[in-house]
Amino acid sequence: MSNRTLGTLSTLLRRELWESPVAFKWAPLGISALILLFVVFSLIIGGRFDAEMAFTSDMLRQLAEQPVEQKRLLVSGALFSVSAIFFQIMLLIILFYLSGSLFDDRKDRSILFWKSLPVSDGMTVASKLASACLLVPALFFAAIVLTHVLLLLIATVYGLLAGVNPLTTFWFPASLPRLWSVMLLGMLVQALWLMPIYAWLLFCSSWAPRLPILIAIAIPAGLAIAQHAWTLITSFTLPGFNLGLIMLKRLGSGVLPMSVNIEFGGQLQSIEFSEDLFMNYSTVLGYLARPEMWIGLAIALLLLFGATWFRRRATDG
Amino acid sequence: MEMTIKARNLQRHFGSTRALDGIDLDIPEGRIVGLIGPNGAGKTTALKAILGLSKFDGELTVMGLDPARQRDRLMEQVCFIADVAVLPRWARVSQIIDLTERLHPRFSRERCMHFLKNSKVRPESRIRALSKGMVVQLHLALVMAIDARLLILDEPTLGLDILFRKQFYSNLLNEYFDEQRTILITTHQVEEVEHILTDLIFIRDGKLILNSTMDEVHERYVELMVRSDQADQARALGPLHERVLFGRHIFLFDRADMAQIKALGETHKPSVADLFVALMGTEPAPATETTG
Repeated sequence: MSNRTLGTLSTLLRRELWESPVAFKWAPLGISALILLFVVFSLIIGGRFDAEMAFTSDMLRQLAEQPVEQKRLLVSGALFSVSAIFFQIMLLIILFYLSGSLFDDRKDRSILFWKSLPVSDGMTVASKLASACLLVPALFFAAIVLTHVLLLLIATVYGLLAGVNPLTTFWFPASLPRLWSVMLLGMLVQALWLMPIYAWLLFCSSWAPRLPILIAIAIPAGLAIAQHAWTLITSFTLPGFNLGLIMLKRLGSGVLPMSVNIEFGGQLQSIEFSEDLFMNYSTVLGYLARPEMWIGLAIALLLLFGATWFRRRATDG
Repeated sequence: MEMTIKARNLQRHFGSTRALDGIDLDIPEGRIVGLIGPNGAGKTTALKAILGLSKFDGELTVMGLDPARQRDRLMEQVCFIADVAVLPRWARVSQIIDLTERLHPRFSRERCMHFLKNSKVRPESRIRALSKGMVVQLHLALVMAIDARLLILDEPTLGLDILFRKQFYSNLLNEYFDEQRTILITTHQVEEVEHILTDLIFIRDGKLILNSTMDEVHERYVELMVRSDQADQARALGPLHERVLFGRHIFLFDRADMAQIKALGETHKPSVADLFVALMGTEPAPATETTG
């Protein structure tokens, strides 16, 4: 990519941020503020029943005396579950954002302004995808880091009051570099994993005459129901292969564990509780070796070409 | 010399309707062309084809580029204002200017700010908070700050009051237009643009009814006003069109014998609006529509 192309892309990303400040900027900061508010509030309420902080201090001292692995599981696990809230809301925001991204400017006719700029339609589609895969995750990641640091600072204050070493009790067990790098890697692989879903939404957004998100849901849902009904009527069985379920399963089985804990198919695997559950490079990278990943990316590529094709022909009205 | 716009047998169908029915067009640089036609005549379809916003059949090159395939490169040379509603309503004025500056290599921020200096448009305002007239001022300032070779205006002054409209065209003419640029305008308010046009194109049912320079138009067409007792004599000379105003009969002639005509009464240049009515086969009042 030339410098000019990169410059254009970064300008277009800036444009997306300007258009959706609430979803991209204020939502992650808002979640962050809510979590901190909740924590501070709990501590204040707790402090009322725990006048001398005896109970809290006891808990913290007990934590400080745990073996290292146990402390790591508890502290980094707590921090990870905090970030899980961010991931779930981020996914919702991305789904809604993408379904409107190539539709809203057609509806309000501002597409005529955007098309009067020397920017190709492929570049426009790429900028929407890059917003969903890079810009939004980056902003949510920044909010997660901020929240983690502030939570650890609050813990540090309490730790010092309780007379435990905050570094060995909270900061080291949090294994922040590993936690954050796995998370960042996970967000990128997650974006690749969900690319066919993202591309499907962009595709629907590029041609839907109205309500693109409903159309994007109704088509696979309708096909799934029709297929179910057909196989049920003809052979009294449920189909083993169903588009609607495949899409739902992909959304549900994100790379980042705990993003949405729905297991279709009814086989719950036994889960071993250790920090490897959420802090494991190989599980994340393992997704890259799965054939479903590459089939999904191939489908995504086709859908993105389709979206660009429709975008090239799109005007107002 | 290379034509700014060159079209051969340009066509566009919507089902069985022919929105563009085989148009040939040659627009050189340094012209201000009015593309005039009734609603649904194919004006916007033609502009959209030229801008690469819709597909078409036939041959079309704009600044030597194929608009259907090279819209992004074409837009470095071409600007257009559709009408007032198209600037994104969520944006602030400063954001729109920033975006245009970063995305358009030929945009000059100084020129844009110069054009906005005397308006009420503030950089921190949101587009949705601006009045229609202010949005047009902003859009025109953006477009005039781009050093483009072709400017396309589709009903640019629709819904604006007369002060804005006058200001709009005088800015365009005094501050923007020169011999290297071409401006293509469609509008219903013909009387406002006829003094600035160098070329006139009438379009109806996807066909060009008239395509010539204003000088040719003035040479070719003449309007004759006669008393009613001389109307028959005038009719005998084969006018294109006849109308009655305050008991006087007004005839429009195409390439008439000036000596004969001058003998019958007062002659003058027809206005574009009168010419439009005569050539398009519609009566001004009562508003009956004839097709043909």
